[in-house]
Amino acid sequence: MVIERLKQFFVKRRILAVLAVIGPGVIAGNAGNDAGGIATYSIVGAREGYGLLWALLLITFALAVIQEMSARMGVVTGKGFGDLVREQFGVRVTLAIMTLFVFANLTVTIAEFAGIAASMELFGIHKYVSVPVSAFVVWFVVVKGNFKQVERFMIVISLVYFTYVVSGFMANPPWKEVARQISFPQVRMDRDYFLLFITMVGTTVTPYMQFYLQSAVVDKGVRVEEYSYARYDAYVGAFMTVFIAFFIVLCTGTILHPAGVIIDSAEDAAKALEPLAGPFSAHLFALGLLNASFLAAFVLPLATAYGLSEAFGWESGINKTFSEAPQFLGFYTAFIVIGAGIIMIPDIPLIKIMFFSQTINGILLPIVLVIMLRLVNDRSLMGDYVNSRRMNIITWAMVLVLITLTVLLLVTSFLS
Amino acid sequence: MPFFAGDIFVSEVHRKPVLDRAGEEIGKLTDITVGQGDPFPSVTALVVKSGKLTYLIPWDQINLFNKRVISVNLLRDQLSPAVIEPAEVLICRDILDKQIVDINGAKLVRVNDLKLGDVNGRVSLIAADIGLRGILRRLGVEARGERLLSVLRYRLQNVLIGWHYLQPVEPKLNKLTLTVSRQKAAQLHPADLAEIISEVSQKERSAIFGSLDVETAAEALHELEPSVQADIIDDMSKEKASDILEQMPPDEAADVLGDLPEAKAQELINLMEKDEAEDVQELLEHEEDTAGGLMTTEYLAFPPDMTVEDAIRELRLEAPDVETVYYLYITDDQERLLGVLSLKSLIMARPETLLQDIMRSPMKTLSLDAEQMDVAEFISKYNLLAAPVVDENMVMRGIVTVDDVVDFLLPPASRKKRRKI
Repeated sequence: MVIERLKQFFVKRRILAVLAVIGPGVIAGNAGNDAGGIATYSIVGAREGYGLLWALLLITFALAVIQEMSARMGVVTGKGFGDLVREQFGVRVTLAIMTLFVFANLTVTIAEFAGIAASMELFGIHKYVSVPVSAFVVWFVVVKGNFKQVERFMIVISLVYFTYVVSGFMANPPWKEVARQISFPQVRMDRDYFLLFITMVGTTVTPYMQFYLQSAVVDKGVRVEEYSYARYDAYVGAFMTVFIAFFIVLCTGTILHPAGVIIDSAEDAAKALEPLAGPFSAHLFALGLLNASFLAAFVLPLATAYGLSEAFGWESGINKTFSEAPQFLGFYTAFIVIGAGIIMIPDIPLIKIMFFSQTINGILLPIVLVIMLRLVNDRSLMGDYVNSRRMNIITWAMVLVLITLTVLLLVTSFLS
Repeated sequence: MPFFAGDIFVSEVHRKPVLDRAGEEIGKLTDITVGQGDPFPSVTALVVKSGKLTYLIPWDQINLFNKRVISVNLLRDQLSPAVIEPAEVLICRDILDKQIVDINGAKLVRVNDLKLGDVNGRVSLIAADIGLRGILRRLGVEARGERLLSVLRYRLQNVLIGWHYLQPVEPKLNKLTLTVSRQKAAQLHPADLAEIISEVSQKERSAIFGSLDVETAAEALHELEPSVQADIIDDMSKEKASDILEQMPPDEAADVLGDLPEAKAQELINLMEKDEAEDVQELLEHEEDTAGGLMTTEYLAFPPDMTVEDAIRELRLEAPDVETVYYLYITDDQERLLGVLSLKSLIMARPETLLQDIMRSPMKTLSLDAEQMDVAEFISKYNLLAAPVVDENMVMRGIVTVDDVVDFLLPPASRKKRRKI
């Protein structure tokens, strides 16, 4: 009786229909909170306290707008971003983008396995155990599972991010002060503050998220009639991403910032939390890092395999077997093997690799965004689903800001 | 019908300037429209863009269409801007870079380039290039890529799908469907997709030679690299091949046969007429780079007691069959060389004079085993057009003409470049 009533309630509110479409946006968004993202937010909180929380509002907005366009392109054209670039811009542009994309993603994948290794070491498990095991799980789930299973698996992982929300509440922040700092931000004009701001934006809006989101929408087979639900998915994903980030900053901002602890990575943050907030807090933080790295270790190889298959016209899809989609699963496998393999090498210069990946992503993002806006406004592809004039003004303005920021980030990181 | 030379890949002409009859640039070639034509869609017009203006130039107004020049029979002022109908199929816009799927809808690959060729006198879309070579060509680095890969011992081949294995073109094409399934395509796999995807040119050149008459074929063959000559002869029917070989000068024929497997060469010689066969057989026995290998057995030989008048009459009869008529060789009844006579001294002599009275003797000769460089130097030193080759008994065996050795006399850069197809 109660179940019956509940079901009616859900059907009436179309909640079931929405839930069926939810997935790609949430996963893509959360994958933006990867090992590098967690590190950045931890550092932001530790250095600036609540001083940069206001920027998260800006990031939510940017992410929502961009993710929505990706989802819309996937739903309306039934093609991935790689497909559209190849068909509309030809071999040259495609090859340039894919080269940058593969290198950027490879380095980020390495960083994710580094995140897995670091967080597991906080639990006392050596990287020679944790990295091969997690690499195998990542490989096995996608190669053997079907799309539905893989998506559910990744949504469950996405829910583990809420450990950061718990950490944030446990820190017991002065909420009034937090609200005041968000409402009346005291923007400083010094170099450190500005650099942190750009890095935060750069780590949250990344090309692989857009590639993954659009390809996953296509692989899932979301139809045009379901577009309005796919839009929710994109918005929910963007909101959730920044929501989690907010609590990470809150946690380190409340505990580490007043203590004046200097950290350089997410595992530093977890270690620093232990004496100040107790082992439980530290473990939650480490678990969050493990989880974030693990999810991104799925999404990055997948996004690359989708992108390459689309660009060269090979069969792709999580439902496919190795004999049906050899290149797709081949690249997926290769990425995991290389990503995990490099972490096994002793004394790997991780900082340099991270710097390299940040640089390539910085070059790639403006190109991807400009191409995205050209595609989304192409009536022969999008029909009536092209951007409205108001949307175009907003997106172009935002894209110009993002481009300026990434260029500044590139310039400053080369200067320092 | 515009002059259309060989096959052309679309990427080789895309964005090339299109000239009018006066040589003025009309604009750049941006696309090509195709119409019906089963299975090969034929080219109907060129889309030429100049700034914001678009011209549609019907195919029958095209004068030249090749990698270097595209020209039109009209003047620029005669053209008026056109609007492209939605139903038109534009190959760059609608076909290039599109997805190819098998009959079950499984994605295979994308169209990297398109090949145009002649089908029954109409220029048509004949194949989709799906290989790495097509991608390199699109990037404009085909030659460099080929060189680089050849260092790695990888031969860069064209991987093509003949259009007869693809669906007919239609407006608003979203993807191209292969008429076979992926499994079947995979079975036809030896090189890449075997039958479907074939290197067209090898077959085509044999087909071209098959369609020529024997004399033209013999002449055309003469212009090619010996290894290519051998390939072509090898591909032809034996009867046709032996006919062509008969038409060729014996030394050339011997060169071609020398590049063939011995059994095959012997088979062809047996099919040739007896006289020609003997000549070729004899030449084959000599090393290729000696006077014996270079010489031809066709020359003018007359007995010493013939009159000038008779010799001229005889010359008229025999001249068509020999390579050079500038020297007449005087031999005895055992074919021993006695002397030589130039054409000039023959025609200047009185009709009743005997040849032995005006011939030059003794004279310079070459032995059968003289090295080719020595032969070249000999001809150069004595300013000859041809030199006689004799055996140890002074029996005349043939002549080496200047054109057989001119390559060794010139500096390397100006040597005649033989063409490959």
